Amino acid sequence: MRRKAFKGGVHPPENKHFTEFCPIEPVPVPQQIVLPLVQHIGAPCQPIVQKKEKVEYAQCVGKADAYVSAAIHSPVYGTVKDIALASHPVIGRTMAVYLEPLPANNPPRQPTAGQFSSAFEPADYSPEQICTAIQEAGLVGMGGAGFPTRVKIEPNPAMPKHTLIINGCECEPYITCDYRVMLEWTWQVLAGVRLAAHASGCRTIRIGIEDNKPTAVEAFEEAISQSCPDEDIQVVVVKTKYPQGGERQLIKSVLGEQVPTGGIPPQIGICVLNVATCAAIAEAVVFKQPLTHRVVTVTGRAIARPGNYYVPIGMSVKDLIDHCGGLTEQAAKVVLGGPMMGFAIADLSTPLTKTTGALTILTREDVTEPKYALQQTACIRCGRCLMSCPEGLNPTRIAHAVKHFRMEQAEQYYLSACIECGCCSYVCPAHIELAGYIKTGKLLKAREKKRLA
Amino acid sequence: MMIGATGMQTIIFSALLMIVLGLLFSVMLLAASIKLKVETDPKVEQIHAVLPNVDCGACGFAGCASYAKAVAQDPSLIGRCSPGGAATAAKIAAVLNLQISEGGAPKRPIIHCRACQQDKTYYGEYRGIIGCTSANAQPIVQACAFGCLGFGGCVRRCRFNALHIIDGLAVVDYDKCTGCGACVAGCPRGLIEMVPFTQEPMMVVACSSKENGRMTRAMCSVGCIGCGLCAKQTDVFTVKDNLARVDYARYQPTEAAEAARQKCPTKAIVFRGKGAPADEKVSKTAAGAPAAS
Repeated sequence: MRRKAFKGGVHPPENKHFTEFCPIEPVPVPQQIVLPLVQHIGAPCQPIVQKKEKVEYAQCVGKADAYVSAAIHSPVYGTVKDIALASHPVIGRTMAVYLEPLPANNPPRQPTAGQFSSAFEPADYSPEQICTAIQEAGLVGMGGAGFPTRVKIEPNPAMPKHTLIINGCECEPYITCDYRVMLEWTWQVLAGVRLAAHASGCRTIRIGIEDNKPTAVEAFEEAISQSCPDEDIQVVVVKTKYPQGGERQLIKSVLGEQVPTGGIPPQIGICVLNVATCAAIAEAVVFKQPLTHRVVTVTGRAIARPGNYYVPIGMSVKDLIDHCGGLTEQAAKVVLGGPMMGFAIADLSTPLTKTTGALTILTREDVTEPKYALQQTACIRCGRCLMSCPEGLNPTRIAHAVKHFRMEQAEQYYLSACIECGCCSYVCPAHIELAGYIKTGKLLKAREKKRLA
Repeated sequence: MMIGATGMQTIIFSALLMIVLGLLFSVMLLAASIKLKVETDPKVEQIHAVLPNVDCGACGFAGCASYAKAVAQDPSLIGRCSPGGAATAAKIAAVLNLQISEGGAPKRPIIHCRACQQDKTYYGEYRGIIGCTSANAQPIVQACAFGCLGFGGCVRRCRFNALHIIDGLAVVDYDKCTGCGACVAGCPRGLIEMVPFTQEPMMVVACSSKENGRMTRAMCSVGCIGCGLCAKQTDVFTVKDNLARVDYARYQPTEAAEAARQKCPTKAIVFRGKGAPADEKVSKTAAGAPAAS
C-alpha cells in the first residue's frame, strides 16, 4: 500500500538498531547541574535565585516576563554555586545557573508514566487550568525547535484551531527517544494528547507515526480503542522518509494540506505537538511536575553502552557519556541531536537542554565520508537538490546567491522558507554544503535587519 | 592586369560618389553636433581624470565617474576619495578653484586580533564552509569568540591586494592599503576598525576579547586580559569590559606609551601602520595558558 507522504525528502540509513530495544532508564543525579537560561525560542530568562541559595527540587530558577518564553526549573535539591557563562550548543555561550546537588536528598526522579491508565479523563481539568499548568511547568516543544508550548496550545480567536497533529515520526536517523516514549509511556502520551486537544479546542486528533514503527502504531491503536473509542482520534501511518517529522511535511502527509509559504500551521487551524511534549503536558497538568527531566537517546558506534536515558536537564554531556560507559577509541564527533539537524559540539561540559533529544557519537569512519566543504566541487546543475527539497525550493540558486552576497536574489528564491532540514546537502553529488550556505544567508539577513533597526 | 575603359569609369564614378556622400554626411554630422550639443561641465572630466579610477566605492558613489559628477555639483564631498587621499583632494580642489584645509589623519584599518594559528586554542576540528560568516555561526570553530577566524572574508573584499591571511590571521599591508574601508563589512566579528593614523606607526591593542582575564588566557596566548598595566603607565590607554583601548587622537610615541607596550604581559599592544616592526612572538607556555581540558 502507498503510504501517505510529502514531495521530496531523502532516505538516509536509519541506524535505529543501536537503541531501538533499550528501555528508558533513569540516570543517577550527577555532581553538577548547569541550567542555561536560554533553552527555548523567545525572550531569554533572567535568574531569580542568588548565589549560595538553597534550591528545592522543581523550584523555578529563571523566568522572563515576556509572553513567548518558558521558565526554567531545578531538577534537583541543591545549592546555587554560581551564575556564569556556560557553553551552549547553538549560540556558543550563554548565562547559566550552576547547581550543586546534595546527594543525600536526591533520589533520581522516576517517570510518572505508570500512574496513567485508560481511566484518565481530560474533562476533569478546565482549558485555562491546563494552559496555566503548562506555562508554570515551563514546557517547550521537545522535538527540537523549543517553541513555548503554552503559546502553541492556547486558543487564539484570530486563528481558531480545529486539528491537533501529534508528531510521532522521529525521522532523524539514530534517534529513538520518542519511539521508546510512545511504547513505554503510551497512556501518559495519550493523556497529554487529550489534554492538549481539550485546552486548544481541537476536535480532530491525528497521530502521525512512520511505518517503520509498527509496534508504536499498534500500542496507540489499542490504547485509543480502550480509553476513548468515541473521540475523533486516529493513528495515521506515514511513509518512512526524512524529514517526515517536520511540521509542515507532517501536515502535508497526514491531512494533504499545505501550510502557506512563510506562514505557520495555526493559520490553517492546525497545531502540531511532539509525543514527548504530550507526555510532559500530562505530567505538568496532573502531577504539577515542571519540565526538569527528559528522555535522551545516547547512540552511535563510538559509545560503550547506547541507550535511552531519563536524564535531568542541565546534566553535562560528559557526565551522561560517563554514565553510558564512556567513549570508545574511535569516537571522533559528538553531535547534540541527530546527524541530519544536530549540532556538533567541541566542549563536553555543554549541558543538555530541554530540546536535546539525542546525543549521537560518530566514529572517524562515519565522518570522513567525503561529505564536507573541503572537497566541494562546482555545481553540475543536476537538480537533485530541487528534487529532494521538501519545501519545493531551489537550494542551489539560494546558496549561490548567498555565496556572492546577493541577498535580494536569495530572498526572491524564498531563502526564509527553508526549513534547514539538510536534504539538499545530503544528496548533492558535488558535496556543496547547500544548507550551510542557506543558514549563513539567514544570518546575514538577520544582521542586516538589526543594522537597519 | 588589364582594366577596360568602362571599368575605369566605374571606379572613378564610385570613388567620386563616395567622396560626395562622405562630404554630405560630415556636413550633416557637423550640423547635428552644433544643433544637438549637450552641455557638459568640463570640470567633471577634469576631476575624473585626477581620480584613481579604481571604482572601489569607498566614496559612497557607484564609481569614479559618478563621484566626479557629484563632487563637481557639491564640493563638500571633496575628501571622500580614500584611495587618492589628500593628494587627490588637493587636485580636485585645484580643478574647482577651491582652497582646502588639511584634512584629518588618513583613516586606515586595524585588525583587533593578533593571534596566529599557534596562539589560538581549538577545541574541535571545524569542517564546515570555508567562509567567515558561516564559520562564525558555529561555536565549534575556535575557542575564542572574538578572534580572527582566518577564512578571509575581508581579503575577498579588498580591491587593492592589501589584505592577506598569514598563518590564520588577517594582516593588512599598509603600503598597499588605501583606507577605502571595504574590508570592515567583511568581518562578521567586527574586528576591523577604521582608525585615524595620527602617527606612523601607531600603537594599537590587537585584541577584542571581552572575556575576563582567566578565560582569555585559557583560549589565547596573545589576548588582552584587561589587567590594566598599560592604563597605569599613561592615560592614553583605558580598560573597559576587560579590554584595553588606545585613544588614537591623543596617541604620541612617548616613553610612557613604550613602557606600557613593554609591560603588557601578553604583548597585545603592537605597532600597526607603515614601518611597523613585526609582532613579538609569545610562546604559549610563557603566557601561562593552561591546557584545554
